[in-house]
Amino acid sequence: MPCNKNTPSSAPKAPTKGQAFLRGGISVLPILLGVFPFSLVLGFAMKQSALSPLQSASFAASILAGTAQLATVQLYAAATPGVIIVLTALVINLRYAMYGLSMEPLVRGKPIPLRIFYAYIMSDQSYAFTMAEAEEHPERPHITSFFLGASLVIYAFWQGGIALGYLLGSVIPSWLSLHFTIPLVFLSLLIPHLKDGKRRFAAGAAALSALVLVPLLPLQTGLLAAILMGMGGGILYETFAPSARDARNQKEEEKL
Amino acid sequence: MRYYVIIFWVALGSLLIKSIFLCGFSSRRLPRWIMNNLDLIPPAVLAALVAPALVYAKTPQGVEISLPQLFAGAGAFAVALYGKNVFLTILGGMLLLGLFSRLSGLFG
Repeated sequence: MPCNKNTPSSAPKAPTKGQAFLRGGISVLPILLGVFPFSLVLGFAMKQSALSPLQSASFAASILAGTAQLATVQLYAAATPGVIIVLTALVINLRYAMYGLSMEPLVRGKPIPLRIFYAYIMSDQSYAFTMAEAEEHPERPHITSFFLGASLVIYAFWQGGIALGYLLGSVIPSWLSLHFTIPLVFLSLLIPHLKDGKRRFAAGAAALSALVLVPLLPLQTGLLAAILMGMGGGILYETFAPSARDARNQKEEEKL
Repeated sequence: MRYYVIIFWVALGSLLIKSIFLCGFSSRRLPRWIMNNLDLIPPAVLAALVAPALVYAKTPQGVEISLPQLFAGAGAFAVALYGKNVFLTILGGMLLLGLFSRLSGLFG
């Protein structure tokens, strides 16, 4: 018998896997407004870098890692040596290691191949929503179904956006300087990370280093160098700024 | 061919990074200072990508500072800061770039 979804009293104490999946999918709908333009821009960039449809589709299917994908396309178009492209993309993706680390308790008991699939479809957004759900409703079961629902919705819109962007890329007039949309996307992704002095200092150091090093160093190595300078700057800031040091010590005491 | 070799390594490396801890590789094997500083990666990466792309423009003579881009970027930064929305930031930045390019065309 089909149950009526509109009566709140019928909401079961323990939701099924399907319901958790659905809730995950619905939870990320508002963020699509942010994800979709990003994937459109990536599609545009692929078209403008003269990648063939097969080249674009195979890259889109091979990995889900927005920022690194956009950077890879950009660097490839700038005739960067492959080693530098791969290194830069991997440094950009290091944040996913951090995500995996904090999500690991949620997937305990799941087989390894399934976990690798989770890793493949994990995005910044589905990770963030899943962790928020686990934090707010630790009593709800099937958190991995929630994650799956959230991830697959993001994944579908992401791939659709790339395809649409690629198609639109050939009809959009060239005077519309669309390459400028790329830093605009990165800019809006950057803002939420500027939460404390340490991270703000790292961002400032990376930005200044990039302005100096990117035109100066050959073969696009400036970007990689600037990222490392920024991270080094953040570490130094935390070591020497008294307020940041106190905050860290407090954090470490809580851990012990 | 070069292209496929590159994306193969990008994809394989990224999947490895994404899955290594999710598959239970314990964080205890990593030094603490690495764990404490992982949150520096996103801001450093994004700032390094943003700054040159906003400030410099490619010309046939090489790279030079573009004032319209610089002003549009500053405006977009304000939109991103207060709007907290990717779509608004792109729209605002592109409109401002169009405006400032036209202005610099008039005066330059």
